[in-house]
Amino acid sequence: MKSMVKKTLIGMGVSAALMAAATAQADIKIAMAGPVSGPVAQYGDMQFIGAEMAIEQINKAGGVNGEKLVGIKYDDACDPKQAVAVANKIVNDGIKFVVGHLCSSSTQPASDIYEDEGVVMITAASTNPDITLQGYKMIFRTIGLDSLQGPVAGRYIAEKAKPKRIAVIHDKQQYGEGIATAVKKTVEDAGLKVVMFEGVTAGDKDFSALVAKLKRNDVDFVYYGGYHPELGLILRQSKELGLNAKFMGPEGVGNKDISAIAGEASEGLLVTLPPSFELDPKNQKLVKAFEMKNQDPSGPFVMPAYAAVQVMADSMKASGSTDAEEVAEHMRKTSFTTPIGDVKFDEKGDLTSFNFVVYNWHADGTKSAAK
Amino acid sequence: MSESIFYFLQQVTNGLTIGSTYALIAIGYTMVYGIIGMINFAHGEVYMMGTYVAFIALAGLSMLGIDNPLLLIGLALMVSIMVASAYGFTIERVAYRPLRSSKRLIALISAIGMSIFLQNYIRLAQGSRDIAMPSLIQGGFLMGDPNGSHIMISYMQIIIMISTVICMVGLTLFITRSRMGRACRACSQDIGMTNLLGINSNNVIAVTFVIGAALAAVAGMLLGLYYGVVNPYIGFMAGLKAFTAAVLGGIGSIPGAMLGGLILGVTESLTAGYLTAEYKDVVAFSLLVLILLFMPSGILGKPEVEKI
Repeated sequence: MKSMVKKTLIGMGVSAALMAAATAQADIKIAMAGPVSGPVAQYGDMQFIGAEMAIEQINKAGGVNGEKLVGIKYDDACDPKQAVAVANKIVNDGIKFVVGHLCSSSTQPASDIYEDEGVVMITAASTNPDITLQGYKMIFRTIGLDSLQGPVAGRYIAEKAKPKRIAVIHDKQQYGEGIATAVKKTVEDAGLKVVMFEGVTAGDKDFSALVAKLKRNDVDFVYYGGYHPELGLILRQSKELGLNAKFMGPEGVGNKDISAIAGEASEGLLVTLPPSFELDPKNQKLVKAFEMKNQDPSGPFVMPAYAAVQVMADSMKASGSTDAEEVAEHMRKTSFTTPIGDVKFDEKGDLTSFNFVVYNWHADGTKSAAK
Repeated sequence: MSESIFYFLQQVTNGLTIGSTYALIAIGYTMVYGIIGMINFAHGEVYMMGTYVAFIALAGLSMLGIDNPLLLIGLALMVSIMVASAYGFTIERVAYRPLRSSKRLIALISAIGMSIFLQNYIRLAQGSRDIAMPSLIQGGFLMGDPNGSHIMISYMQIIIMISTVICMVGLTLFITRSRMGRACRACSQDIGMTNLLGINSNNVIAVTFVIGAALAAVAGMLLGLYYGVVNPYIGFMAGLKAFTAAVLGGIGSIPGAMLGGLILGVTESLTAGYLTAEYKDVVAFSLLVLILLFMPSGILGKPEVEKI
């Protein structure tokens, strides 16, 4: 008796699901995958508001080939295991277009599934170079790579800062060491000498031995590849122990917490960051639209997420198809005008150009363009 | 003096500073082990909470309008010691005393559970991000030629070393001269016999936990001021290093914990200074393995007598 009730219920559930699928057939569904919960959910929000705004504006302008776009949120909590589950669910739900994921460690396993199942994925936030190194056809990104940032910093050091004795320090992690290695290479190619190249342990608090060593080597410029908690302490201890050197770091150090940790020692720190798209005069109408909805357009992933949806929609329109493979093929061939500038993909699916900008960091947590 | 001697002395000073705080935390491990033979894995978390309490007290006191740095530090230190001692006492009462007659492994698991609980409790109450505090005491002594070779010792480093020496001397006097200290030593030799002689060993154990927690709070306060940041995870690494120091010096021996802390700190600093900072933990822990191979009970530890 019990099992019959169960069967009936399952039957009803299945037919309800089929009906729902039938009515929604006319819409083009776009999955927005990223952390809705967990410690980095604030970054997920940036991606969601950007994608939602693009969907809303495209629909207002008549949709894509007469059909409406529908965005559906999926929560991967920035957890690789959950990202795989989410990717499988998206495939099972029959969705062919994904904006996401956010964390590189989630994007990497999820992208395998999308590639195998013929789903187009554009990440607006994952910067790890490895993601697009697999030779995939369906995977794209609308943000720069970690490996682009190093050369930008390296060129700035060689052409503008022109220090005599350079030290490159990193935190031995994929992100930090990768950027530090790129900086070292660029600087050395420009003919400058790196006198120290060393790793520290992430989570360490005492850097006095390192600072003493920097002093002994007469270092006048330090590049640090890593995140703000360690660099903040290095800056603070350098000031206490009397090291006079200019410091520079990647976008992982460029947030207000570094000023809280290092205080005055963070004044004059050089940081490479993605450009502030919300300050671009061409984007002012869009910025107003965000402000009307009480949303903040200045997060680093808002505009890239908007661009990701726009690139998908434009390709669907131009190819006149919602077939994922045709859309992906079109995306690879064409260039698009988006809020993050002109977007063109290379054969790996990365942007052909994405500019990082060097900023001067100030002790009050603000930044200004470096000369 | 040549430049390389200055550099060596600079690195030794840095090592002694960090080693002093390892020693302060290590005392808590070694005293508890000496008396009840268990490793209190929640001790690192007491250190972490000591830093949090000190930060909160500093912020609160400066809001009340106290701006003399030494007075601020003194008052915050008192608050920190009191709160941390209360935690040390409570941890023993809640997590260890009910298990004292059971097997050692069970108390150990309880300690690990306590550590996880405290870490997550602070994470929920204070957030998991780094909390920063501006430097209260800046500047330092400079010995030698300011433009050439010199040693720079910050005032904070001096305060850390002096405070450690004061705590160590005080603790040694307490253990060797006071009635309670004598009871502690008696308990560490034979707790059953001590009970028979009319000493309440429960009180002695509680005092041990309170002293350990108070010293951890001193270390927490000093390191908090020195580094200027705290997060809920600092207790784990600090606890691991201090535990290593205690084992290195001979667990159960108080002078051993002091010596072990200093050796560990100086080794780390010299490795970072002459080899590379990447390998400082590798070298420090290799040293531990080597010393334990040749001196299984640590440098100053008493060899364990097999009881039949």
